[in-house]
Amino acid sequence: MTRRLFAPLTLLLVLVFLIGPFLIIVAASFSAGDTLAFPPQGLSFKWILKVFTVESFRDSFVMSMFLAIGGTFAALIMGIPASYAMSRYRLPFSETVRTVVSAPIIVPGIIVGLALLRYFVVPIGVPITLALFLAHTALVLPYAVRVVSASLNNLRPDIEEAAVLLGSSRLGAFFRVVLPNIRGGILSAFILGFVTSFNQVPVSLFLSGPGVRTLPIDMLGYMEIVFDPSIAALSSLLAFLSIGIVFAAERFLGFSRYV
Amino acid sequence: MFQNRTEALALALPAAIFAALVFLVPVILLLSEGFRVADSWTFSAYADFFAQPLNRTVFLRTLKLGALVTLVAAIIGYAAAYAIVSLPAGTKGRMIGLVVLPLMISPVARTYAWIVILGRTGIVNHALMAVGLSDAPIRILFSETAVFIGLLQLFLPLMIISLVSALENLPKDVVPAARVLGANWLQVFWKIILPLTREGLVVGGTLVFTGSMTAYITPAILGGSKVLMLETLMYQQVTVANNFVAASVIAFILVVMSFAANILLKRIATARNRS
Amino acid sequence: MSDRFLALDKLSLAYGNTVAVRDLDLEIRKGELLALLGPSGCGKTTTMRSIAGLMTPVGGRIHLDGTDITRMPANKRAVGLVFQSYALFPHLSVFENVAFGLKLKGMRGTELETRVTNGLKSVGLSSFANRKTPELSGGQQQRVALARSMVMEPKVLLLDEPLSNLDARLRLEMRTELQRVQKESGVTMIFVTHDQVEALALADRIVVMKNGAIEQIGTPEAIYNHPVSAFVADFVGFENIFAVRHGRLVTAAGGVMLSGALPDVAGLAWRPRSVSLGSGPLSGTVRGVSFAGGTREYVLETPLGTIKAEVDAALPAHGLGQTVAFDLPVAGAASLRRFG
Repeated sequence: MTRRLFAPLTLLLVLVFLIGPFLIIVAASFSAGDTLAFPPQGLSFKWILKVFTVESFRDSFVMSMFLAIGGTFAALIMGIPASYAMSRYRLPFSETVRTVVSAPIIVPGIIVGLALLRYFVVPIGVPITLALFLAHTALVLPYAVRVVSASLNNLRPDIEEAAVLLGSSRLGAFFRVVLPNIRGGILSAFILGFVTSFNQVPVSLFLSGPGVRTLPIDMLGYMEIVFDPSIAALSSLLAFLSIGIVFAAERFLGFSRYV
Repeated sequence: MFQNRTEALALALPAAIFAALVFLVPVILLLSEGFRVADSWTFSAYADFFAQPLNRTVFLRTLKLGALVTLVAAIIGYAAAYAIVSLPAGTKGRMIGLVVLPLMISPVARTYAWIVILGRTGIVNHALMAVGLSDAPIRILFSETAVFIGLLQLFLPLMIISLVSALENLPKDVVPAARVLGANWLQVFWKIILPLTREGLVVGGTLVFTGSMTAYITPAILGGSKVLMLETLMYQQVTVANNFVAASVIAFILVVMSFAANILLKRIATARNRS
Repeated sequence: MSDRFLALDKLSLAYGNTVAVRDLDLEIRKGELLALLGPSGCGKTTTMRSIAGLMTPVGGRIHLDGTDITRMPANKRAVGLVFQSYALFPHLSVFENVAFGLKLKGMRGTELETRVTNGLKSVGLSSFANRKTPELSGGQQQRVALARSMVMEPKVLLLDEPLSNLDARLRLEMRTELQRVQKESGVTMIFVTHDQVEALALADRIVVMKNGAIEQIGTPEAIYNHPVSAFVADFVGFENIFAVRHGRLVTAAGGVMLSGALPDVAGLAWRPRSVSLGSGPLSGTVRGVSFAGGTREYVLETPLGTIKAEVDAALPAHGLGQTVAFDLPVAGAASLRRFG
């Protein structure tokens, strides 16, 4: 009897361990008190509202959105043709290309950030925003290539040949026949890239300057100085944003098929 | 399969050149710094690095925490994964969703939650004092325990999903067959389940181990400067000590470990494809 | 001219450094239904792809209807191809699939509507116009693929293993369908197959290929009854094949004389039913016997090696282990000009 209950009970505890903390910060963000404590002292929306009034949060939120959207977009612009070349052509040095574009996933982000600071920002004077953009693009590139390649490999390559034989040009075949069929994969790659970039901390650690920093870095800095529930409120908001996006993606795209 | 090589290169090169210029070249330059002291190639920076007791402590602590988190994640992971695969299909999908859900939430937010729980005025202290086990708040934050808890929560889902897919591929009826042949549950686990899910365990273990070893946020928030790990030490070396050689040494250690893990994972993947 | 409607002259094809087809010469008449037959890796699919323009030859020329199309891009050739996988566009409806090429030609409105509708009608799929293609059965998908190529009114229609993905009943149905479409439209059709039954049943002329070269060209009757080489003989069901040297059959045990003089050929081949069992100068031991309805099939162990024989089931059966006399009548053999 005890044995039959052992595994389900562990699972229950695991779920409490994994999800409980998240529920607690959600609860803490509705606190009426001025310091972070649990159980929350009273119920109010003041911390949630405060998040929107902190100027640095607004700026870093915009920065993070820019990096996540722009970086993922740039990664896809380069990643889609590269994936196409790897899946449909006899590409010379195919393995080398694959290794190079997927390397950023293997090397810890903090090293990439420091390397860009050392060799781009300091000696050449590359603006920090640009360095951040490059770093986030490089970081997302492996995900873009992996997800797009997977959906290309699920698509029969002969439909492009069929389109060409029916009078389409090679490029036309890509836009008429390939792109409509890998749209789901591309959108999934975008969402995965967005979430990865938006939540990314180590890459951006060394790449911050006056007025230029990503939201998670800003949060790290804020929580060292101020001990109020606004970080909890912001965390909850961000968490719901991520969950909402992923949930919608799963619902409408079958996101998990691609990732 | 198209034959045109020029076209293929034109499509693939922008991404490859970008990754090489923005990523590969600067990273290799950075890593080389640790081998360049006073304009000559040497390992002296590594000797210097490990000569410092603090660095040794941090290195060993990082290894220890990585190993401990992996071990505990494996034990809990097996039980949780076993429970998940025994569920009916619909519930199983939802459970996997719940396990994966935290991966989508910002690690900063996930780690921050532990401050609420483990802090001086947090839940645990509240509970301890309410029950009377302690009359003043005890310090849990900024300890190895706190970092361990944070890392375990961060990476446990990776172990569970690896083990779930390994257990799902377990040949049908081997467990009942072993039971009928007289094995008790412990023997079933050691002699049947463990050998047959070894690959999944190695995959999950590698992900958890490298994730823990290269973690920044968790030790930064829950460990502070008291419980440094390799990445937080690296950050300190750069921002406080301005010691880029030491930072390069740490970077090299991290890269070597990540690559070793990646090669291991690739081996497993190819071996699996072949069989 | 019409004998050279499609002509391959000294065509050579390669994948990187691997030569797939070497110096192939082939002329195809207008309106002909030709089969490229051979085992996988013989170069038949490669040859077909080069006609479609999906592969550039490393040597030789291709002429279609008087024009050199060797370097012409695939989308300008007016060559249709029905893929083995059908290669339907999964995001488009049946109607849109068939309309795809016509729209690229700039056709719109009623003309497009009429052409597509007629195309679908000719393959019996009028009521499926608005379906998505993944919902269709294999046979229906193939008809869509056929209609999609046919509405383009190609000069040549290529079909890659057109019957291999269908079950036995559909295969027969599709065979008839292909013949009908070909007769009605008069289109020149080339199909690739590894199945001799398909080639024999469907084609006006068969090209047997081996290792990137043509082994034999001929009508189904010629290929079936008079294979020129051991390879072709084996491919079309001759089970007992021997080389001939100095008037004797070459076997593992050395030369064997047959009754009657041997013609001056490279080899001789017998179908199992050409072997006469019960009397003759040779003898063997029955190692296998199986009843096949009207006939009984024997596997004999003989000094010539293993011999397969098929005789009328009404004749008395020989049991396993029995020694049986048999003959290989030269009159019933196919003469092989080449052995190998």
